[in-house]
Amino acid sequence: MPLALLLSCGMQEPIAASIAADIGLRKLVLYREAVVSEGGSRPPVPARQASVAVVIRNPWFGTAPSTDLAAESRRVAPVLARLMTDRLQDALGGVDAIEAFGKGAIVGTGGEIEHGGALIHTPYFGNLVREFLDGESIICFADARAVAGEPLVVPLWHKTAAATRSHYQTVSARVPDGPRPDEIVVVAAASTGPRPHPRIGDRLTDPIVTSSNVEVVLS
Amino acid sequence: MNVRKIVTVVEEILEEGGRPVSPSARVAVVAAVIDNPWVGQGFVEDLAPGIEAHASDIGALLAPAVVDALGDKVEAYGKAAIVGLDGEIEHGSALIHTLKFGDHFRNAAHATTLLPAVEKRGPAGVTFDIPLKHITDATIRSHHQTVEVRVADAPHPGEIVIALAAAAQGRPQQRLASLSTEQ
Repeated sequence: MPLALLLSCGMQEPIAASIAADIGLRKLVLYREAVVSEGGSRPPVPARQASVAVVIRNPWFGTAPSTDLAAESRRVAPVLARLMTDRLQDALGGVDAIEAFGKGAIVGTGGEIEHGGALIHTPYFGNLVREFLDGESIICFADARAVAGEPLVVPLWHKTAAATRSHYQTVSARVPDGPRPDEIVVVAAASTGPRPHPRIGDRLTDPIVTSSNVEVVLS
Repeated sequence: MNVRKIVTVVEEILEEGGRPVSPSARVAVVAAVIDNPWVGQGFVEDLAPGIEAHASDIGALLAPAVVDALGDKVEAYGKAAIVGLDGEIEHGSALIHTLKFGDHFRNAAHATTLLPAVEKRGPAGVTFDIPLKHITDATIRSHHQTVEVRVADAPHPGEIVIALAAAAQGRPQQRLASLSTEQ
């Protein structure tokens, strides 16, 4: 693939100020990388990975663990799912180019991990991300409670066949100045293909491994 | 020039200081992770042949890409060379402190000023701040700004990360008096 193709970006529609205000969106960071060479040789199937990290106000900051999270989850998460999958498609060349996906949340130190879960683990985010990216798999994830600037390593797997081992991969997402204690960074990530040089087989090619037939190694 | 990976980062800021930023403020960075052309050769006195061989190619690769990633008119810009632990900072400087490199960006951005730069040596995953200034008048205070970048697995000891940064505007909520008011 020519370098220019690896580099090109789709047009990114500006985010409406009203949407940003509604969900307390402070900042969005798009990260994309294309591996040109790995281990000294070009990947036979070149892939691009991208992550989109949005920094939003924690809708539940200052609330007790007894608080019902459903209403805000239903209000905020669909907006994030739409916005973030649009950005991923722009960055990676459209929904058909995307083969693997993942998601994540970094909750600021004044919130609960549960708050991040309320934004990424309910159907208001997960089902919509899956639908917008034309996937079928459960979306794998990472979460953390952390200070601003902490990287989150987000796992990805195949969007329609999660056990496809060639597509097990991660992308690192990071916002230098987020999340603040009262914010949450929500991440959606995707890849257009497998790892650069996948060669560890698959379920179809694996030998049957049990503790008895690897006895020699274990003893 | 052996390129291992190319990284693009686009930041959009929609709120700052508790107030909306509309239209959103955009800054883009494109970085190439390349082999350090001089690593493993001992002290290379004359860097000119390596500069001649690589600097223009890297500039030609990155300049249109960062303008494309920004998706807007460039108003401020900057550059970076982050050298892996086995190299000299001089190696990174060699590749970016030459008109052969910078003119690609100046032409693509219709710019005239010198590009502000960061040069640094560090391990893979080191964070670095790229300073940006206005593309035609480096005294315009509203456009002095910085973007922070990190590539989790670069630079390896024998690599250099070369990056360009572009902003479509000055700082969000910029409100400092201009230099002329103090002169």
